[in-house]
Amino acid sequence: MYKYILSRVLAAVPTIIGITILIFLAMRVLPGDPVAMIASEGQGTYRLTAEELRRARASLGLDRPYHEQYLKWMGDVLRGDLGTSFWRGEPIRDVILRRAPITAQIALMAVVLSWLIGVPVGLFSALRRDTLLDYILRGGVTIFMAVPSFWIGLTFVLISVLVFTWRPPLTIVYFWDNPWLNLQITIGPALALGLSLGAVTARMVRSSALEVLHEDYVRTARAKGLPERQVVWRHVFRNALLPVVTLSGLAFGGLLGGSVAVERAFGVPGLGLALVQALNERDWTMIQNMVLLYGLIFTAVNLLVDLSYGWLDPRIRHQ
Amino acid sequence: MSTSKPHRPLSRRTVLRSLALTAAVPPLQACAPAARPTPTPAAVPTSQVVQTGVLRAPEPNPKRGGTLRVAVGVTTAHFDIHQGAATHVLCHMYNNLVRWNLADGLRSIIPDLAQRWEISADKLVYTFYLRDGVKFHDGTPFSAEDVVATFRQIIWPPQGIVSPNRELFAMVDKVEAVDRLTVRFTLKEPRAYFLELLADPSSVIYSKKTLDENGQDLRRVIAPGSGAFIFKEHKQAERWVFERNPNYWDPELPYIDRMEWLHVPAWSDRGTAVLTGQADLSWNVSRETWEEGQRRKDIVQVNTLPNFGAYAVLFNTRKKPFDDPRVRRAIHLAVSRQDLIKAFQTQEWINLTRWIPYGDKFATPPEQIARLPGYRPDKSEDIATARRLLAEAGYADGIRGVDFLSASVAPHAEIMAPAFQDQLKRTLNIETRIRVTERALLGDEQQKGNFDIVLDTPGHILSDISPLANTYWKTGGSRNWGGYSNADFDRILRQYDTETDEQKRKQLADQLQDLLDQDPPWYLIGFTFHLPMWRNYVKGLALDKRAFAQWGRIETVWLDK
Repeated sequence: MYKYILSRVLAAVPTIIGITILIFLAMRVLPGDPVAMIASEGQGTYRLTAEELRRARASLGLDRPYHEQYLKWMGDVLRGDLGTSFWRGEPIRDVILRRAPITAQIALMAVVLSWLIGVPVGLFSALRRDTLLDYILRGGVTIFMAVPSFWIGLTFVLISVLVFTWRPPLTIVYFWDNPWLNLQITIGPALALGLSLGAVTARMVRSSALEVLHEDYVRTARAKGLPERQVVWRHVFRNALLPVVTLSGLAFGGLLGGSVAVERAFGVPGLGLALVQALNERDWTMIQNMVLLYGLIFTAVNLLVDLSYGWLDPRIRHQ
Repeated sequence: MSTSKPHRPLSRRTVLRSLALTAAVPPLQACAPAARPTPTPAAVPTSQVVQTGVLRAPEPNPKRGGTLRVAVGVTTAHFDIHQGAATHVLCHMYNNLVRWNLADGLRSIIPDLAQRWEISADKLVYTFYLRDGVKFHDGTPFSAEDVVATFRQIIWPPQGIVSPNRELFAMVDKVEAVDRLTVRFTLKEPRAYFLELLADPSSVIYSKKTLDENGQDLRRVIAPGSGAFIFKEHKQAERWVFERNPNYWDPELPYIDRMEWLHVPAWSDRGTAVLTGQADLSWNVSRETWEEGQRRKDIVQVNTLPNFGAYAVLFNTRKKPFDDPRVRRAIHLAVSRQDLIKAFQTQEWINLTRWIPYGDKFATPPEQIARLPGYRPDKSEDIATARRLLAEAGYADGIRGVDFLSASVAPHAEIMAPAFQDQLKRTLNIETRIRVTERALLGDEQQKGNFDIVLDTPGHILSDISPLANTYWKTGGSRNWGGYSNADFDRILRQYDTETDEQKRKQLADQLQDLLDQDPPWYLIGFTFHLPMWRNYVKGLALDKRAFAQWGRIETVWLDK
């Protein structure tokens, strides 16, 4: 098992290095840099001269060769120094520490909501296969799989504003400071993300449950006279849930990425919104470090899923 | 006053409207019909100077206390206003020498740190008599030395300090402290709008002590001011918090205890924030939320205020065919401003204006503009004249391969630029190729001359035509990157700049506008409106009768709740 864990951890290292190189180069290939963005502030009333621009770039180290800039960044990251925002001069670590709890909470709530919605829907759909209820549930699942989360989010916002004259608060409030206010901020994005993931979960549960329902052990359970409720709970439900655990694990990383658009739709000041703003401002250090963070989380979640396979299935562990 | 939120029943129409709004994409928005209210230009300010005025809320018996929450879209890269930091939030900590009067909707200039002033007969010497007993937030007493240090940083910045307003003050010869509480500005030549420059939110007074301690560079310092509010907290790109200055030199002000400026980047989010009571005020909200606000008079008020930024297509007059004034005039005549404004209406509210924006006393009235060639809605005669002009210039069959530069931001690249391209093709058979670039690089491309025509959003902090004309249209102007040059225009502008008689200035301003219509440096689409929205309980700012969109200090605000 230790050998398996070590091999999976080592396999994650080149992935992370690849992410750092890709995002570093992407930022340099795109036209414009943070100095150009800062210089253009003021919509035409504020311009730096070419010499002032050159000096500003030099002071930020942007005039150095790419490999030097990359190695310096990597060195800083390894020392735990994520640097400061080009645009605002604020330590990036502070931005992440302040905003990450909100984004992580939204992702976690979305996963829980996806279970609460997806598992019963998928199970009912499988147990009532090819009935009117199944068709209705499958139709709903298909719609929510097709519609992007941010669109669902925008619809929530518009209906809540136009119909109920309500929208979530605009500032960061943590759950441990004020649970009621915090839930007002996070429930909308979590629901928007959770509905999409819930639809995927429902589909997964349905096909998985249908597969299990045809297994020999289910037929045996029924043959020995177990009540249908017990057959479903003890044999179908548990076995059908295994792929859902894997799906949710992988989806958690995806939800962090998906939160960028949904946070923008709801105006929630999480990591996603900070990344959108950093992209607009060409805030290279901010973008690099936040993409690295997303990459690390995604890789870590993948690693955990890989390891859980090993734990759940001895055949993989012993390969 | 009750501010309870009335809940409207969920109707099919409401839901459909919601879904339609959500689904709308920019190309569809461009085709939307013009079923919108027609913008009505605000009345122009009188630019009256009231030397004895005292700043107070316009309503009697303002209530004290409370927290004002403002949704604001602007961020700032640093904190030095003189080096270009955004003034919207920072200005509340500071004072100017003089200021626009909030109580009459920015129609007069009244004393601020200058208690009174004298202007010499030749309008070259301005002597300001300063208030005694004013202190900065760190306890430093205010004196004439602070004014001198402030304007030296703006007008003659030391090496390494970038002062974007330096050019605006180029007419200033000397700034001297006559004594502890008297300061004198000597100009090289008169400028009728000099006091307006001093009243702008970017002309705040810093303390000499703070400037000296930081090598004149306050980009990383939230410098203590002498203003009505004291800095309390700043969370980057989230919020600014200010508290009432208990030692403010005017003991009556401010009325509120605390201000929270919430950073809300999206225009629609700012609108919904005010509609739902998450914010009390926003200077500029999206068109859709503004229209919803117009329908919700029970909870909010809205207004449309002239702004000094414009949408325009700038010609590169150094290159053929735009070196020929007949080609530029033809485009000025043929392309329909009304259609472009309509195409852009879901994005930003553009006015049908000439070269001076509404909000300025010399702006041409809208009803007069609507009769002028090029501006009038009926294009048949203008298009015929335009085609004749093109033929005379040797382009009877139209023009091919025009490089049309635009910023890559969606409203520019996907709505306005294609709409203009289509109009050129349909009316004059001019074929353009739209080339998009990052907004930050648009200026660089223009400076290098890499364009035939370019869609841009030029503007200035003042409504007066002089700063805009000197920067963009005068031969050799610092942002005249299209190389426009007209000797008559330069001569009249020179006269206008130094003329102090209002009647003569008006005549000269009209002449300048006529010249620009005949020999246009740009295709001017129009200056824009800002769309403020505020809760009904927000008082003290006379926002309903404000003359123009200048978003500065608000110490007379009070909350009627």
